[in-house]
This record gives sequence, structure tokens and C-alpha cells, in this order.
Amino acid sequence: MLSSIWEQFINLSLIVIVLRMLPPILLGALGGLMTDRAGVINIGIEGLMLVSAFSSIAIGAWTNNWFLGVVGGTAASMLVSYAMAFFNLKMKVDIIVIGFAVNIFGAGITVLLMSILFGSHGNYIPATPVSIPAIVIPFIDQIPVIGKLLSGHNLMVWISILAVVFCYFIIYHTPYGFHLRATGEEPSAARSLGIRVERIQYSALIWSGFFSGLAGAYLSMGMTSMFVRDMTAGTGFLALAVVIFGNKNPFGILFGSLVFALAQAVTLVIETAPGNAVPSQLIKMVPYTVTIIALVVYALRKRSYKKIRTSA
Amino acid sequence: MKNRSAIYLDVIGIIGAVLAALVIGIIIIFCVSNEPISAIHAFLVEPLTNAFTLGSVLNRMVPLVFTGLAIVVVFQSGVFSMGAEGQLYIGALTGALAAVYIPGLSPWLHIPLVILCSIVGGGLFGMLPGLLKAYFKADEIVSTLMFNFIAVLFVSYLLNNVFKDASSGGFARTPYIQDSAKLFQIIPGFPTHYGFIIALLAVAVVYLLLYKTRTGYELRLVGKNPLFAQYGGIKTKKVIVLSITISGALAGLGGAVEVMGVHGALKDNFSAGLGFDGIIVSLLARNHPVAVIITAFFYAYLQIGGQTMQANSDVPRDLAIIIQAILVVFVSSQAIFNYLKQRKASRTGGASIAK
Repeated sequence: MLSSIWEQFINLSLIVIVLRMLPPILLGALGGLMTDRAGVINIGIEGLMLVSAFSSIAIGAWTNNWFLGVVGGTAASMLVSYAMAFFNLKMKVDIIVIGFAVNIFGAGITVLLMSILFGSHGNYIPATPVSIPAIVIPFIDQIPVIGKLLSGHNLMVWISILAVVFCYFIIYHTPYGFHLRATGEEPSAARSLGIRVERIQYSALIWSGFFSGLAGAYLSMGMTSMFVRDMTAGTGFLALAVVIFGNKNPFGILFGSLVFALAQAVTLVIETAPGNAVPSQLIKMVPYTVTIIALVVYALRKRSYKKIRTSA
Repeated sequence: MKNRSAIYLDVIGIIGAVLAALVIGIIIIFCVSNEPISAIHAFLVEPLTNAFTLGSVLNRMVPLVFTGLAIVVVFQSGVFSMGAEGQLYIGALTGALAAVYIPGLSPWLHIPLVILCSIVGGGLFGMLPGLLKAYFKADEIVSTLMFNFIAVLFVSYLLNNVFKDASSGGFARTPYIQDSAKLFQIIPGFPTHYGFIIALLAVAVVYLLLYKTRTGYELRLVGKNPLFAQYGGIKTKKVIVLSITISGALAGLGGAVEVMGVHGALKDNFSAGLGFDGIIVSLLARNHPVAVIITAFFYAYLQIGGQTMQANSDVPRDLAIIIQAILVVFVSSQAIFNYLKQRKASRTGGASIAK
């Protein structure tokens, strides 16, 4: 069994699988990052992703255009995240509660619409498949190793990696990002400096709707080409874990997402390997356990940092 | 303490929120259905009119009471645990092992033993994120979500590899539990099982614990104002660990009661979100243990109503889920409730000035 993992590692198909698993976790985590930096914990990423996964493939199949599908799905997710912001900031619903409500709302509305529009409770497979294209780079795809590493990945893989750079730039190199971080770290201080805290939090939630929307579109039109009820299967919660794991830093999150995607890829390889000895459940447990450890390490480090600061 | 008129306003507001959510649900039914009247009838009337569905509502209510109480205890102490789902699985596991593998006991001994095992299992598992929060400041929302995955996967691993019943075929479950550990129907022919009584007892215990004991007072004080509690000499860390342990015990007990009363064996993925439903039940009950009885009933009524609607009309049961989501948001809209209270206050205030 180990040999089969090794074999897949050598012929690079493990890396290809890892990259295939990467976008939903990474994009979801970036969405979580934007709200987290603004001091808002969005546990509704799971629901936002589901809303987008369904609306993107429904719109994509209807217009027969994957791009419109992605736009539609992302817009739907952003609309829901706007509603989250409204209920949190205007109606004073606790953000944990509203995130939780969005998760059940996403599960309910997608299946309701699926059964009304397409008469199915379990899954929806469009008659003519519609999917986000893979990027085959001419010439490079002919080169033995580099070709497999760089060419043939889904467009969303590249978008998600670019999104990391984009988030890094936004958070650390723009006035907006400065306001975002100030809002997250000390809202009252930020407000006294004239930062419009509420507006920043609105925008942060909508960013998280945007990234979760892209993630959802990839789930139904990239990773698969169908919508299955509850197809996010905890990816949104994983994304929250990755935010912690990656120390709330875009590149840390890229690393964390790769670790989580690797765990998923190894699970996949082991499940399909002939004569496997290690039960897949135990391997699936690893990233969650690692997250809990990361949570403790992160908290300890923060505490010792505070100690240093107060003693100095 | 809340005064009477504040509670009164709260209840009025919650009923208003329920009605508003139901009206939205009915509007959706009219939009999507070709037979809206029969759909509404199946959804809202049928669950209450026949003995079988009413019994099912009460049965569905039982685990919701347990997970609802589990969340009440942590939320009252200001701990945002999302871990009831995982604790339910672990409690169901330890309970089911005692129920399956200990033969030859009288029910009077066996059922309490199973209950004890599930309480210990769920409680110890609940204690883990509590310890991490109290002594390492690890955020409990994320840690409990992770522990949920770990618990479900761990139980699934055991069911598929260690305790799998050879005759269960492709479906992973333990062997059936001993007859002495089964919770039978209270009234033969009416579906509700004895777990219902256990659930009501649990409500009484949690109520007494929270409102009539020193521990409960400390627990609520930590939830209201942890700094004040600490200055008052309360060991907040211990209280946090204790509250989440109790919560785990309650959720675990709920899992074991499901095994003993409904499934008759521990099945893979048997819960499908009961722990998360508990969060809704507790929020609707404004985190009060006695109100959990009402909200768990209402929640179970919506779920069974959704099922009968799906069976008897063209509207899928997922409509009930949407109503639940809307309801949670409405009931938690502090702004609406504060507005109501302020208006009332300004009115009475105005009157006293006029005098």
C-alpha cells in the first residue's frame, strides 16, 4: 500500500490529485480569512459554498456557458453573505448564529430548488455537461515532468493560487487592508480613528461570499460536473480550520490548504488501492487532529507573545 | 433577573417570529406547489391529527431535548460549543457497547448502566475541548467542530472494522442490543418510547442544576460576566470545563437513548445533524431548559410535518429546513426585541411623566 502511494508520488499523479482537491479548501479558507481579519467569524462558508455550487451549475447549464455559471453562482453566494451582514450588523443577530443559519439555509434551499426545477432530491446532472475548462499550456505540456506539474490543471486551481497573492496584497499593502486589520484587532480603536468599522465588516463578509462562491462553483463545475445534495461535506468547516492552521496569513493558508488537500488525496489513493490495510477513516481524522494541535500551538504562541509585550 | 413584562415581551416576540417564518413558508408553498392547500394541510395539520404521526413527533423530540439541553448548559456559561454532534456519537458508542455486550441483566439494572456509560463517554469526550479552552485558550468553536469530525470518523471506523455485525451486510452497524436494554413503547400501539420520560427527567435535572444549585449559579454568572465572576472568587476555568462536560454527558445520553429506543443498534451516521438541531432548539428556547420542551416539540413537529408533506404532496420536506433557518434568524434578531422593549419602555416612561 505504501508502495502504491510512493508510486503515485513518483509519477506525479498524487500531486495532480492534490491540486484538484486544493481550490475549494483554499478559496473557502481565504473567504474565512477576510472575515477573520475583520473580527467576524464566519461559520457559514459551508452554506455559501452550497448555494453557489447549485446556482452555478444550474445557471451554467441553462445558459450553456460555464463563465455565466461561475458569475451567477458567485453572485448568489455574495447575495446571501450580504444578507448575513445585514442581519448581523443591522438586526444584531450573533454572527455564530447567523453563520449557522446560513449553513442550514444552504442545505435546504438547494435541495428545494433542485427538486422543484429538476425533479430530483439527490443530485442534478445537466443533460449537456458544462464545466470550468482545464488549462493546457502549449509546448510546456510536452515536457515530461514540468508538463504534468504545470499543464492540464483546472482554471480554478490557478485562480485560487492567484487569489492568495491577491489577498496578501489587499490585506497588507492597501489602505483598505489596514482598515480591515485595525477593525479586527481593536474595533473601538479603529472607530476612534475614523474607520467605518461597520462598512468594513460588511465588505469583509461580502469578500467571504465571493471566495466561497468561487469555491462552490468549482465543486459542481470543476471537481465534478454535477450537483449532489450537501456536496460540500464539511469543506466549509475545514476551511475555518485552515485559517487557524495557516496562522491567519494568506501564504500560511496556502500551505495549510496543501496539507489538507494532501490528506484528502492520500485518503483517496488508499481507498482505491488494492488490498489496503489502513482504514480510510483513520487517515481522514489526521487533518482534524492536526488542526486541534495547531489551535493550541497558536493560542500558546499568542499568550507568550503577550507576556513578552507586557514584560517589555 | 428578568422581570415579568420583559419575559412577556420576549414570548410575544418569539411567537411573532414563528408566525412570520410560517407565513414565509406558506408563501413559498403557494409559489412552488400545484396543490398548495393539501401541502399546507399535510405540513401543519396532519402531524397532530393521527396517533402514529403524533407519536413520531414525540419520538423525534426526544433526542432534540437532549441535544437542546446540552447546548443550553454551554451557552448559559458563555461557551460556544458546537460539539453536541460528536459527543452524541461517542455517548451512543459507549452506551451501545454496554447495551450489546453485557448479557443477562434485568432491565432495571441494564438500562441505568447503559445510561451511565453514555454519560461518562459523552462527558469525557466533551471535557477535551473544555480543557483546551480553559487551560490553552483554544477557541472552542473550531475545536468542537473538529472533534465532531473526529468522533464521527472514529465511530465509523469502529463500526466498519471492529464491532461490525456479520449479518448486517453492506451497512455498518453493531449487533442488535440485548432486549434488557431496549426502551419499549410507553403505551403499546402508540409509537412513543420510554426515552420520552428520560428526556423530561433530564429537563428537570438541568433546570434544578442551573437555577437551584451553587454550581448552576456559578455557571450562569461566568456566562453573564466572566471577569466579574473571577473577581468574585469563582474558578472560571473549572466552571468552563464542567459546563462543557455536562453538555457532553447530556448529548451522549441523547445518543444512547436513540440507540435504545429507536434504532436497536449503533448505526453508521445515524444522527444526521441532531447535535446541530440542538443549537436551534436551544436558541429558540432562549437557552432556558424548560422552554426546550416546547421548542423541541415544535422543531420535531416541523420535521415530521415536512416528511408528511413530502409524502402527500409535491412540496419537498426541505421547505421545513428553510423555515427553521429563517426562524433562527428572526428569533435571534436582538434589534427587533430591543426595539420592542424600548418602545414599551418609552411608552410607560412617557405615561409616568404625563402624570
